Parts: sequence; structure tokens; C-alpha cells
Amino acid sequence: MSPTRSPSKLISLAEAARRYSWDGMQYASGAALPVGSDAIVFGRELLRQGRHDLHAIFHCNSQQLNLLAAAGAVTKAECGFSALEVFGFANGLRRAVESGQLALEDYSNLAMPLRLLGGALNWPFVPATVNIGSDIQDRSAFSPDDYPAKAKIPAVTDPFTGRQIGAFSVLQPDVAAIHVTLADVTGNSILLGTEWSRVELSRAAKKVVIIADAIVDQGCIRQYPNLVRIPDIIVEAVVYWPFAAWPQSSPGLYDVDEEHMKFMNKALAAEQGTADYIRDFVTPYDGVDGYLDMIGRDKVAKLSDTSTGFLLDPYRRWILTPAQVAEATP
Amino acid sequence: MSETLDFTRQEMMAIATGREIRDGELAIFGVGLSMLAGYFAHANHAPNLRTMTEGGVYGATPVGGLPWGIECNRISSNATSFSSALDALGFLVASGRCDVGVIGAAQVDKFGNVNTTGIWDGEIGPSFRPPKTRLPGAGGANDIACGAKRFIIMVTHEPKRFAEKVTYVSSPGYLEGGDARKRYGFVGGGPSAIITTLGILRPEPGSNEFILDGWFPFSSIDEIKANTGWDLKVSPTAAVIPEPTAAELATLRKVDETGALRKQ
Repeated sequence: MSPTRSPSKLISLAEAARRYSWDGMQYASGAALPVGSDAIVFGRELLRQGRHDLHAIFHCNSQQLNLLAAAGAVTKAECGFSALEVFGFANGLRRAVESGQLALEDYSNLAMPLRLLGGALNWPFVPATVNIGSDIQDRSAFSPDDYPAKAKIPAVTDPFTGRQIGAFSVLQPDVAAIHVTLADVTGNSILLGTEWSRVELSRAAKKVVIIADAIVDQGCIRQYPNLVRIPDIIVEAVVYWPFAAWPQSSPGLYDVDEEHMKFMNKALAAEQGTADYIRDFVTPYDGVDGYLDMIGRDKVAKLSDTSTGFLLDPYRRWILTPAQVAEATP
Repeated sequence: MSETLDFTRQEMMAIATGREIRDGELAIFGVGLSMLAGYFAHANHAPNLRTMTEGGVYGATPVGGLPWGIECNRISSNATSFSSALDALGFLVASGRCDVGVIGAAQVDKFGNVNTTGIWDGEIGPSFRPPKTRLPGAGGANDIACGAKRFIIMVTHEPKRFAEKVTYVSSPGYLEGGDARKRYGFVGGGPSAIITTLGILRPEPGSNEFILDGWFPFSSIDEIKANTGWDLKVSPTAAVIPEPTAAELATLRKVDETGALRKQ
């Protein structure tokens, strides 16, 4: 008998944001580092729909958090790293933190996936030997008067050795919007490049929305089941959106848009620049075609000519055309 | 600068850092200049170095110049493994397997504690308040500082960066000095060197206070003391550090294709 197929979970980006986001929610994304795979286009949609008072769980800041913070949509954030790597400080996030408008709770790049892992396993807390002895443990932006902080990473005694270690609270975000390279219509996902913490995040979040650069026939998934790191059984919805991580990179598909990374970060440094950026790069497009027109078709072609393109070769034959994706969307 | 070789202070810093890394080690590099130092060591004298970035990119050589990030296209076109943060910083660093890490710093103090979180006007005080200037945060440097057998700090030598005591400890060095690290369950051993644009500082045995171990040919003890925010002691064995060889410089520049270290 041929495999039983589950119904398609493809929905539009606007519908996904309507269904799976609300004001005051704990929203997780940014799970593949500051210049790599991140569901940035979902963040743009959150602004288009006027979401605010978000509690952001971003393992690392990305241009998505930078934009949401610059626009004043985030009041609390938890991060392991809050800049843009070699592109420098994240000006929008920085402005929101320095003005006191956003409370940024600092952890490290191991502490965040450990907390997600703890959430995924439904552990009460995670014991670890990082962040202890530093101000990451002693200072809390969420409880600024608690010093040295007792509620953030309380010191506990290892019952086996007697040494002092840190107890980390676990994370179970309301919704995670996770960027992937390839997904089938039910949400089985293949991630090219580092996974960073997308696997832990997908298991920790209460609901997962997949934002895929390309949709593949399920034959691809059945050919490479070992490579499916996010299975459809934990996915609520799938959004097809090419260049979803722009201006960041998606290994195998497109490079970092260096020019726009700098332009965007410069704009987000000021309130007026942010308003202009939203006017020009958040609100104007309608659908995928309009979005790619906004990036510029020449730019799209240039960024697609990536030295990582060979990574996609084994999967190319299964990639659906936009027309096929439209047909597969209920 | 040398009469025969023209190199920048940043290139000297990267080469001196690379010289600290030994063949066969398991090594992790942070984003930016520390990555160039690490991949320089791999190309120059450590062919069996097992390299990783905290992004979980293993066995890769940067293509097209300094990668924009530890996951970007410039480090993703010839990797032998794409893994995860939990794998790199957890299974391979927090476990105690990693021999050496290289991290950067905005501010470092005499016990090798690193601040990459923020600049405040004066002390923070009992109540935590937003910094005047927010910096990138700890990233993976805290995890490397807690877990790697040893780590090297790479930092531009300026008085504002070399403080008696950092305002905020993002990544622990020797904390208050001596055996203060022993109070915690750290897996790693602490910082083995601070390599700057002027010279090399190493922890004094016992006190773990960083003292001057050597100066670059274009620098001097006086210049380094003048650029250090604490009363810097000088090791009795301190000496001038050999300038880059032509071969070292050529290899570094192959790794640093876009000249990130040549920008002044």
C-alpha cells in the first residue's frame, strides 16, 4: 500500500501571523544566529498586523529582533547574544535597551539551547556549569533590584559532587516561527547549514510555524528521513516564502545581502529611520512576487548565485514550482 | 613597523594568537578576528587542528574573506559537519573536551575577566540599570571561558579597555584572582593569555594577576604600561616577541582575503 498522506498545512503568511500571534505573547524565533536562517519575514508580518508588547525569546538577536525592537513592539527579550556579529551592534535593539523601553535579560549561547532543551523535556530546571560566577548570574534586567539575583540562575549544590552549579529556568515559548530551507506541505523540514538551536526550539515551543524558502514533494522527505530534523507531527502550519531570511543568508539558497544588512541596521538606529524603513520595506509588498520585486530581481539573482549552492543539489528535483505550491495550498 | 615587512598591529596580534594554538588540538573560535587567528594557525602550523565554530560548523575553511558570522555563506561552502550550538558549546566545550578557545573583549581586567555586555557611567550600583552603551552580550564566550581547558583573549590595547575591574563580568577569567575559580563548578581552566595590539600578558602563577610577558617589536614596556588601566607588573622573563615571518604573513593574508586586519 502506498503511504497515507496527511493534509497540507500550507497557509499564507498573513493568515499564519493572524492565527498564531497575539499581543503580549512569548514569541520565539531567531534560532539560527544573527546573520543566518531566521524567519525575518514573519517579524515583518507581525509589524504589518500591529503586534506589540512581545516577550521575545531569541537565542541570538537577528535583524528580526532588531526590527521588532526598533519599532517598539518588544517589551521583554531573552538572548544569548544581542549584536549582528561582524555587522556590528544591533542599533534598533540597542536603542530600545538603552532607553529602558525594552528589558533585555542576558544569557549565553549555551544557556539558551539548554533552557530550550529543558522546556522540550519538560524538566523543572536545567543544571549547568556555565554563566555561574559572572554578572549574567548576578544581574537580572527582569528583577533589577534583586542583587545578587536569586531568581535568575540560582546556585544549587550538585547532590553527587557537592560543587556549586547553576539552575536554569526552562523555556516553553507560546509560538516559534522557525525558518527552514526545505519543507513538505505537512511541515517535515530539512535545514541546510547549522541547526543552531532550531531543533530544541521546535520541541520546546507550544506551537511551531514553519517558514520555508522552498517546498518539496514528500518524496524528498521519504528519501532522506534521517535529515528531517523537524518532523511534521509537531508543526501547526507551513508558510512558503522564498528569501524569508533576507537580508540574512540561507545556506544552499542565498548569501547575506551585505548592502541591505548595513542599510537596515543604520536605519534602525533612529526613530525616523525606523519609520522610513517600515514604510519602504515592511508595509509596501503584497505577496511573494511583490516581496521579491521589493528586494529587486537583479539582487535576488545575485544573492542566489552562492558558493553554497551545491548543498541544494541532492534536493533540487523535488522542489515545487510556485504554481505547484499554490495548487497544494488548501 | 619593520623595515623589511609591512604589517599592521592587528595582524601581529592575530599571528601571536595563532602561535598559541598547537597542532592536534580541539579548538573553538568566536566570531570576527579570533576566527582569523584560529584559521591562520590551522593553515600555518597546525594542519591537524580540529576546528569548530560555536555555530556548529566543523572542518570548514573561510572562503571570500572574514565570515560575517559563524554560520554565514563564507564559512558554509566546505564544512564537514553542520551541527548545533548544543553540540559545539555543550557536547564539545562544556563537556571539557575542548583544548583551546579564542574570544574577543570590549573590556578586560587584571584577572582576565571580560566585559562584552555594556558600558555604564561609573559603577552599576545595587539596582541593575540599562547601560549607557549596550554591547553584544556574552554570546558563546562565557561558555568557552567556563568550559575550555584554556582560552585566549584577543583585545585592542587601549586604557579604556584595560580596567582594574570590569564593570560587568560577561565571561569569567580568574574572578577576584588566586583560586577564586575553585568556588564554582567550572570545567575549564581559565585564560592562558591576553594578546593585544601591543604585546602579550599572562597570568602570574598563584595570584593569577595578568602581567606583561612580552612586547611586539614596534611597542615597548612603557607604551604598554601607559595603555593599561592597572599598575601592570612586568615578568622578569619578559622579552620582545619575534615579528611575523614572511611565511606567517603570507598565510595570514590568504585567510584574511578581504583585509579585515589591515584596516586601521
